[in-house]
Amino acid sequence: MELNSYQQQAFNHQRPFLEKFGKWNWLLTFFFIAWIIAGLYALYLQIAYGHGVTGMRDNVVWGLFIVNFIFFIGLSYAGAIIAGILHLLKLPLGKPIVRLAQMMTIISIVVGPIFILLCVGRFDRLHHLFIYPRIQSPMTWDVMAVLTFFVGAVLFLYIALIKDLAVYRDAGLKGPKWRQWLYKTLSIGYRGGASQKRHLIISQNLLAIIMIPLSIIVASILSWIFGMTLRPGWHSTIFGPYFVLGSLYSGTGVLIVAMWYYRKSHKLENYITDQIFRYMGYAMMVLAAGYGYFTFSEYFTAWFGSEKWDSELIHKLFSPGEYGWWTLFANLAGIILPITIVAIPATRKTNWITAAALIMVIAMWVKRYLIIVPTLETTLLPMQDTRTEYVKYSATWPEWLLTGAGLASFFLFFLLMSKFVTVVPVSGLEETNHKHVHESMPVKKEDIQPA
Amino acid sequence: MKRPLLLITGLLYCLFFSIALAGQTDSTAQQEATEVTADEPALISPTLDLVTVQKSDNTIDLKASLKAKIKGTLTFLHSLKIKFYLVTDSAENELGTAITDRNGNAVLNVKAEQVVTNKVGQLYFKAIAAGNKSMEGAEGEVTIKRAILTLTPVKEDSLLSVQVKLVDVGSGTETPVPEITLGIFVKRLFNPLKVGEGATDENGEATIEIPNSLPGDAKGNITLIARLEENDTYGNLEASAIEKWGVPVSDKPEEQPRALWSSHPPLWMLITFAILMVAVWGHYIVIVYELFRLRKEQPVLPGNATNS
Repeated sequence: MELNSYQQQAFNHQRPFLEKFGKWNWLLTFFFIAWIIAGLYALYLQIAYGHGVTGMRDNVVWGLFIVNFIFFIGLSYAGAIIAGILHLLKLPLGKPIVRLAQMMTIISIVVGPIFILLCVGRFDRLHHLFIYPRIQSPMTWDVMAVLTFFVGAVLFLYIALIKDLAVYRDAGLKGPKWRQWLYKTLSIGYRGGASQKRHLIISQNLLAIIMIPLSIIVASILSWIFGMTLRPGWHSTIFGPYFVLGSLYSGTGVLIVAMWYYRKSHKLENYITDQIFRYMGYAMMVLAAGYGYFTFSEYFTAWFGSEKWDSELIHKLFSPGEYGWWTLFANLAGIILPITIVAIPATRKTNWITAAALIMVIAMWVKRYLIIVPTLETTLLPMQDTRTEYVKYSATWPEWLLTGAGLASFFLFFLLMSKFVTVVPVSGLEETNHKHVHESMPVKKEDIQPA
Repeated sequence: MKRPLLLITGLLYCLFFSIALAGQTDSTAQQEATEVTADEPALISPTLDLVTVQKSDNTIDLKASLKAKIKGTLTFLHSLKIKFYLVTDSAENELGTAITDRNGNAVLNVKAEQVVTNKVGQLYFKAIAAGNKSMEGAEGEVTIKRAILTLTPVKEDSLLSVQVKLVDVGSGTETPVPEITLGIFVKRLFNPLKVGEGATDENGEATIEIPNSLPGDAKGNITLIARLEENDTYGNLEASAIEKWGVPVSDKPEEQPRALWSSHPPLWMLITFAILMVAVWGHYIVIVYELFRLRKEQPVLPGNATNS
């Protein structure tokens, strides 16, 4: 498998990260595994003592688990859309980050559905979803959508990896034999011949074309689990595009944070450049504006209509005694902050953009909580049992422990994957990119004047 | 270089850990609160209600209902033995026993030849639930006069009605009972449905119209029931008859239309779903096929360029 000089340089630069695991990574791995084990203990409690150990009750039947599910699955859809667009538009600046987007896609689609399984009370009847599916139910649509998307995401990542796997195979990397065998098997004899290239390009293009609409459809289906029910705050015609945009937005944030971390840890400043951060910042700003518009539209319509249940929900969301501060945080940190940071030239810098993205991601998680829980606390029928834990949802420590375990799994998978494949795709880097980077390299930060 | 991840994850986990600890404290407090209120009363004090239903076949149903208030909640006591007695002027004769069901009810059917009226022409029944180590004993009693309620269906053209007659037989002779309100019911899946009522005249008779559009079984049969309920003198009386006066309703499930609510989804939904799945999975199949073709291709370039 041949590489040009720039690609070779990129590979040589990343080679040590594939060959050495390092003490620091071992430490992190054990740290994440410890959290996962703690989560397994919480899961044991939940199975042994039932869902009573969680804060979920008759009225508020969904809590942290479904919030995490939407959050992670949204990241996955966002990763697929970003990777698909970057591939189809063949943007040279997108090449170094496409691998991270694909890693986010596959890892999130593995972690996200685990949280749905945690919500299931009767594991023994899980197969009924497939034996007795009800095609009219959004739940059935979602199960089919997630499974279909999962297969697509695996294929998408794998096809994008084939060229690089061939590079790793031929490079004679130091490491265990099984790893060499895996590179050899997974690269399926790719040598970069014209005919092989043609087959690969057909596959990649087809998959990129299908993954973008598929991601939009599955994100919409996810939103319809809520939107199809006659509940205040959920029954909305814009919920589909709202979720698609929300997923893309938070996915962009996570991608920026991942880019920043790997740029630092793998010394990838020559590949994941400040310019890429600025462009990603612009994308984040546009998405923030769109998401803000949707959010305002949702709240304003519900408030103006003054319908009884909608008014009750809006009151909950904006009352300082209830969810008011969280709503303020979700909208300030989730919408206003990223726009401000990117809009002001002085803060339109890599570190600032990353910090805004990180805070925005947390705010978007809170926003998901605000979509789920306050609505469930606004019951349409008078409640028979008005004990506090039935009226108000409060997450219990097993739920937090399992949430932490999910997050640990997410980080662990990222860590392990970045030790198996290069974070910046080697074979994907183009000569134009090479020139561009080398031309831009001598230019110092100080020489770039704000627009 | 690796500090940033440590910082981010450290901060996040500190946040989770503190919230988790707070949650644990709340949960423990709730558990303690539950334990404090978990005291149970030493001995249950049940109540036993006894009612009678005189039926048109000259038998009497003795219905005992056993319940108690446990931790402030009314609870039906099941699987307990109830003994039934007939108390005459000279003796207390045991009629039989029955076990309470899940609703706390026990029923004993008594034949006409088993009962003897006392000197004032009344029947005096008693039911007893024996106590045990966790429950006190309970007793219920009821006194009734013998009476017979008859029901005769009458059909004139399209007009449907029932003639009911109530006679007192406590004194040995049949004496009509006037000015008593009787209800007419139709048997349904759960409780009988009341369809009319009327008061008896000086002959102890009443004619009550009933609707002609009642759903029946597959053959159109409906079960008509005449009832005198909770009368101070006679207790409960019941008579019934089956007539082909209902609208036949098939007990076989009808084929449901294609709809959002039925088990058959709308056709457009099925077609859309199928098109989407075929389109996506079709692409997957083509892609996997392309990968197989790629694998079969002979290598055209030597793989030697990347070793460094």
